[in-house]
Amino acid sequence: MATQPVTRTPAQPTSGRGSSLRIESLTKEFGSGVRANDDISLDLEAGEAFGLLGPNGAGKTTLVKQVIGLLRPTSGRILLGPYDLVADPGAARQLCAYLPQAAVPIDSFKAGEAIEIAGRIRGGSRRDVHRRAGELIEALDLGEWEQTLGMRLSGGVRRLVGFAMTIVWPCPVAILDEPTNDVDPLRRRLLWNELRRVRDEGVTVLLVTHNVMEAEKSVDRLAVIDSGRVVASGTPSALKVDERGRLRLQVMLPPGSDTPPLPEFVLRSAQSGHTLVAVVSEHDAAAAVDWAQGLLEDGSAEEYALGATTLEDVYIRLTGRVTADEDGLA
Amino acid sequence: MLLWHASSLRVWAVTTIVVEIMAGCGMVIGVGLLVPDISQTAALYCTTGTAVITLIMVGLIIGPQFIAQQRTDGTYEYLLGLPVPRTAAAFAWYTVCLVLALPGAVAALALGCWHYDLSLRVSPAVVPAVLLASFTATMLGYAVANAIERPMVTVILTQVVIFLAFGYAPINFPPDQMPHWLAEANRGLPFLPMATAVRHGLTPGFDNRLAESYAVLIAWAVGSALVAAIAIGRRR
Repeated sequence: MATQPVTRTPAQPTSGRGSSLRIESLTKEFGSGVRANDDISLDLEAGEAFGLLGPNGAGKTTLVKQVIGLLRPTSGRILLGPYDLVADPGAARQLCAYLPQAAVPIDSFKAGEAIEIAGRIRGGSRRDVHRRAGELIEALDLGEWEQTLGMRLSGGVRRLVGFAMTIVWPCPVAILDEPTNDVDPLRRRLLWNELRRVRDEGVTVLLVTHNVMEAEKSVDRLAVIDSGRVVASGTPSALKVDERGRLRLQVMLPPGSDTPPLPEFVLRSAQSGHTLVAVVSEHDAAAAVDWAQGLLEDGSAEEYALGATTLEDVYIRLTGRVTADEDGLA
Repeated sequence: MLLWHASSLRVWAVTTIVVEIMAGCGMVIGVGLLVPDISQTAALYCTTGTAVITLIMVGLIIGPQFIAQQRTDGTYEYLLGLPVPRTAAAFAWYTVCLVLALPGAVAALALGCWHYDLSLRVSPAVVPAVLLASFTATMLGYAVANAIERPMVTVILTQVVIFLAFGYAPINFPPDQMPHWLAEANRGLPFLPMATAVRHGLTPGFDNRLAESYAVLIAWAVGSALVAAIAIGRRR
């Protein structure tokens, strides 16, 4: 699609609705010579939730900062409908709502007040924003803290308030960088529910997350980024095609213990802390359970679980690293 | 954005205003303790000069340190991502800084006039002088806070500015009390013009090089606003 010249008319929040977000051959190299993004191309359809997965330092945050106009790409383009977001970072801020990885600056705001001011800045009317903020507070179970100053909120509640501030007045694109950091498991589900609802309203969601398990349930497509490059992209199902006929065995080892020798039927494994994840063929399910049970009985393991392979196993295969799933065993 | 800045400083507004008032009043009275037989002219310089220092302190020093803190804890990124024209954001910041600074400046003037038995003849000229001095100081602080990547450098730089403004800028005393070379250097810096413009609006007889002072002040205002605009708009 040819890029039309950017007009002098400021981008309005509704003018990019229904447009796809295209990232073309994006490269970002910092002055120190570090190539944080290397020839990344992504196509986000209007109204889809697109996840960016990858280990720390993969370049995910660098990528989204270029979309929102906080960093300038070394080369490449970012297009949202007729708008060139690299040439016009003002349009990027107008069309994209951004929740950064760091906390939002709401120390002096009451939670409800912060959400409403954010909506007003985005162009919402006082009445509509007030109504919408009330809906979000209820949906995210934040009623208890609505009148509490930000400096007195826990990290997780602040994160939820930040999320609400980002989506209170919908823009064509919502960029969320680790939205569930510090959020308790119950409210995380509420957040993901709201995310799905926002997406269903036509907002394109670009989501950076480490929580592979939850992202699998909430995104339409995703890209796995490692060392600045896209190593895989597609729907969660498409990415798991190679895992068909395989099961994952997750074993919790006692702290300080050595990794037990792995039997031959283990196709591959990865360990993070005392969580050992092994992928086995479904034909070896019984043998896998016997082996894990043996570890349990001789004290080499504290617990284990056998289940279907997940996106996390794809992630491990592609990056060689286990994600930090704070919920423990899946 | 005005509502945002005002609300974000709300918790600190009272503290800031109280600190400003205490600092201003303390400076005014302190000079009288140092120089018990201070002349009326010297007292006038000190009182009006303290009002100028109090006026510019919020935008030039407290403001950049506040922004540096936000850069340190990463919260400044959220503000940079908001769909607000940079000029509107800067103007909102200036307005809030001015409102926070005025009570301290007025308190210093009032206390100084009472303590030293001074009579001011405030003219309408004080309005553009105060607005311009405050704007220049705020834009300077805004430019420093946004142009310098490392927050600690910003904090250190603002400490240096305090040192320069208090010790080497003829705000509380006439420039002819300084070495000639230093007095000449200050003609090109913003502090002496700020003091001259505001003092002229508060009392007659202090309009020496007034036109030059306004010209220098406007040049610093425009220059720092430009630097601030470039710094905020710059993407790494």
